[in-house]
Amino acid sequence: MSAIVGSAPYLYVCTRFRVRRMKLIPQEEYLRMLQMSLPEIIRLIQETEYKREIDELSHSFRGIDLIEVALSWNLAKTYQKVLEIMPEGLREMTESYLRRWDIQNVLAILRGKAQGLPPGKIKEVLIPAGELDRDYLDKIITCAEPGKVLESLKRWRLYPVLARELPRATESGSFSFLENELYKQFYHDILDETGAGIKGGKEFLEFLRLEIDIRNLQILFRLRVNGAKGEVVTFFIPGGTFTVEELVRLHETSSTDAFFDSLTAQLKNRELISLLGRFRQKNGLVPGALHEIENALTLMQYSRLEMMARYHSFSIWPILAYIERKKQEITNLRAITRGKQAGLSTEQIRNYLVM
Amino acid sequence: MVDAVTATQVVMSVEAVEASQLGMKALAASIAIVGTGLASAWAELSIGSAAVGAVAENKDLFGSVLVLTIIPETIVIFGLVVGLLLIL
Repeated sequence: MSAIVGSAPYLYVCTRFRVRRMKLIPQEEYLRMLQMSLPEIIRLIQETEYKREIDELSHSFRGIDLIEVALSWNLAKTYQKVLEIMPEGLREMTESYLRRWDIQNVLAILRGKAQGLPPGKIKEVLIPAGELDRDYLDKIITCAEPGKVLESLKRWRLYPVLARELPRATESGSFSFLENELYKQFYHDILDETGAGIKGGKEFLEFLRLEIDIRNLQILFRLRVNGAKGEVVTFFIPGGTFTVEELVRLHETSSTDAFFDSLTAQLKNRELISLLGRFRQKNGLVPGALHEIENALTLMQYSRLEMMARYHSFSIWPILAYIERKKQEITNLRAITRGKQAGLSTEQIRNYLVM
Repeated sequence: MVDAVTATQVVMSVEAVEASQLGMKALAASIAIVGTGLASAWAELSIGSAAVGAVAENKDLFGSVLVLTIIPETIVIFGLVVGLLLIL
């Protein structure tokens, strides 16, 4: 009997997220926004669920900055509310997945400090959706230099990686290697936790593998398009269905045709195979196609998420589908508003949207 | 002697069979009602939990989910009808 009653919270939460997902901005709305002027877009955003954040922040920010900060606040609040209604089991998995935002926030602070940005400016881009909450991040922002930031992050679970790689990053002025290492450790930890036999962990593990694969493929295409040479093994994230050795071998394949052939031979996903076929026929691997490939891969990840959310209706999938879609909504709205402000053409902005 | 015992036993068996038939009918009716009751409860638990989740996000769905939640009630009504047909 307890097993029957035990499923009720899953049914409740998963249905809530399915309904929430339906309330996200649809594709037609983005296309309508592309035809609008910036003030019209801002007004439209103010009339949606971002109204509360915009009202709260309207005293401190103006115009596009107000929209940007309101979007970040809304995302952080949404994720915190997601955790509040989550039943045990699903909560632990979601919490551990949302810890990736800590990496983004810490790196934003470090980059901001390295460039000498004022704390207020850094705060605008933070999304406190992970383990490091808003108050904690506010304290870190006040630190004068990256070294002090490191000291105040001693309690953070990724502190050992940060302490190991930060000196090299500050010395070279590039945080990309540190970022890679942090994400690698994050995926390593989360795979370890999920593999420990928690309830519903199988579906979560499947999602993590999919995400690692998509990330690795994006890295692979980026490396190939930019013609990166030398030690590329450090860029790839272990734990996906492709091993790091396979990815390195693919990167080292000399001709583009051979690259596409070996990649297609290793793929099981029919959607991805046809996607690669399209790119191969269209324009090969030219720098202009990279953005298109990355967007197509992200879109493919979402379509797989949606499919799995329908197939496993009462599991972690519908929740992850919502979390990812919400993140994309914020990214799309930012791209539209910033693009309009920068005077980009409708077609250029459209290329940045994943919808 | 042997015949008398057999006759008594036959008379008692008929009574026992009649009583047993009534008991069996009552048992069958109770199984029909209990079984369908449990099935309804199980179905309503799932539909109800999902329905509350849907209404929490969108109040306009209340009418639709209310109808969906009471549909499994028909199962227990079938059980009740079968039970009554068995008893009456």
